Amino acid sequence: MRLEVDWTRCNGHGLCARLLPERIALDEWGFPLIADPSVDAALVRPARQAAAACPELALRLVPDPASRDDVSRPQQEARR
Amino acid sequence: MTVLDARAAPVAYGTARLLAGVTSGRPADLARHREHHGEQRFNDQAGLASLADQVRLLGRGGAAFPVGTKLRSTPYGAATHVLVNGAESEPASQKDRTLMRLAPHLVLDGALEVARALGTTRVTVAVHDRLAATALTAAVRERRDATHVRVVVQDGGFVSGEVRSVIRSLDGGPAVPPGRRVLPHERGVDGAPTYASNVETFAQLALLSSLGADRFAEVGSPEEPGTLLLTLVGDVPHPGVVEVPTGLPLSVLLPDQDVDPRPVLVGGYHGSWVSDVSGLTLTRPALRAAGLPLNAGVVARLSHDTCALGEVAAVSSWLAGQSAGQCGPCYFGLPTVARDVHELWRGQDPGVDLLRRVAQLPGRGACAHPDGSAMFVRTALATLAREVEAHRRDGTCGRPWRRELPTGGAA
Repeated sequence: MRLEVDWTRCNGHGLCARLLPERIALDEWGFPLIADPSVDAALVRPARQAAAACPELALRLVPDPASRDDVSRPQQEARR
Repeated sequence: MTVLDARAAPVAYGTARLLAGVTSGRPADLARHREHHGEQRFNDQAGLASLADQVRLLGRGGAAFPVGTKLRSTPYGAATHVLVNGAESEPASQKDRTLMRLAPHLVLDGALEVARALGTTRVTVAVHDRLAATALTAAVRERRDATHVRVVVQDGGFVSGEVRSVIRSLDGGPAVPPGRRVLPHERGVDGAPTYASNVETFAQLALLSSLGADRFAEVGSPEEPGTLLLTLVGDVPHPGVVEVPTGLPLSVLLPDQDVDPRPVLVGGYHGSWVSDVSGLTLTRPALRAAGLPLNAGVVARLSHDTCALGEVAAVSSWLAGQSAGQCGPCYFGLPTVARDVHELWRGQDPGVDLLRRVAQLPGRGACAHPDGSAMFVRTALATLAREVEAHRRDGTCGRPWRRELPTGGAA
C-alpha cells in the first residue's frame, strides 16, 4: 500500500504526522512531508488511522501502482 | 522590458516544415496551405498510431508523452472528444500561437485527422491568445470540413494551460488542475474520453499523415525524427520562434557560448539553467537524458548586460504568483522561496533555508508547478554560483536588472 495526498484538500491540520510519525513529518507551515510513501504490513493500522483522522479526507491509503504498470504511464503525463 | 513580438516572422533552420510557406510572417490561407502541404490524408486509429510510433513522435506541450501510445489508448467512437490545447500560458513561449496565427489550417488538418481516426466529430481548440483564436476561427469558416470544430478562448495563468485545467474550464469549472489524478483519455471534456495534445503535436501529425513516415524521417535525428519548434529568448541571433531539425547541436543556436559562456535556460520557466551546452543536441529524449527537459521548447540566454540573479528573482516572483492557491506547499512555499531569492539578490544570505525549501517543493501539488519551479530555482543557484557569491560578498554583481526574461508584466 501507499500514502497519497490530495494537496488541494489538505489544510495542514497535522493529525496525520502525530498518528504516523514513521512516515509523515510536517514542513514549516504544517503541511505533510512524506519522504517514503510506502506502507508495509506493520504500518497499515496506523496508516489507516491517520487517513481516517484527516478532517479534510486529503490523506488516502491506496494500492501500489507498481502492479498496474500500463495505467501509470499516462498518470505521469497527467502530472506534466 | 523585453517585448517578444510574436508577429515577427519565424525562422527555419534548414527545411521549413511546420512553417512551410509562412516564414514571411504572412498567414497561409487554405489555398496557400494546400499548395505547400497537399491534400489531407486520413488514416484509421491503428494506422495513425503506427505512423506516430514509426517516427517516435512525442507530445510537444511539455510532457513529451509518446503520441502513438496515447492515440491507441483513447477509446474509438462518437462520444470521444479531440482537444487541441493551444493555451500556451508561459509568457516566454510563442511557438503555439505563432503556429495558430500563421498556419491555422495545418493545426486543423491534424485535429480533423485525429478526429476521423477516432471516429468522432467532437473537436475543440482551446486558446488563450486572442489573435490565435481569430486566425483559427477564420480558418474554420474558410473550409467546409470543419463546421463542427469549436474554438474556445480561455483566460488564465500558467497552471491553467495544463490540459486538465483546460478541460475543467471547458466544463464550466475553475481553470485549475483537479486534486485527483484524472486521465483525459478516460475522463476528459464533458466527462467523455478525450484525446488531448498540444497545438504543435497536431500540426506534426498533419505533416506525418501527408508525408508518410519515411519522408517525415528524412529530416532530423533518428532518435526523434522531423523538426521541432523553439522559442528563443534574450541574447540569441534570432529571438522568437524557430523551426529546427531535431538533433541539431544546441550550440548552433547559441554561437560563441563555448568561448564566452552566458547563463542559458533550457525548457522555460519550469526548466533548467546551464552554462556549458557543448554536447547537447536538440531532441527531447537526449535533453531529458542530460537532465534538461525541453518542456514546451523555450531556450533563453542572458546577456552580459543584465543581472542574472535579478532575472531569476523576477521569474521566481512570477512563478509564485502563478500558484493556483489550491495546494499549501505551493501556495506558501513558492512565495517564501521567491522572497529568499530576492534576499540573495539584495546581498542578504538566506543560507540553507532556501535550499531546504526548494528541495521540499517537488511532488507536493496537484500539478507539476511546484516541481518545475523548484527545478528553475535549484539549477539557477547552481549555475549562477559566481553571481550569487558576488551578491553575497558585495551586495551586487554591478549589473542592472534589464528584464530580459519576460513575465507578462506580472512580476
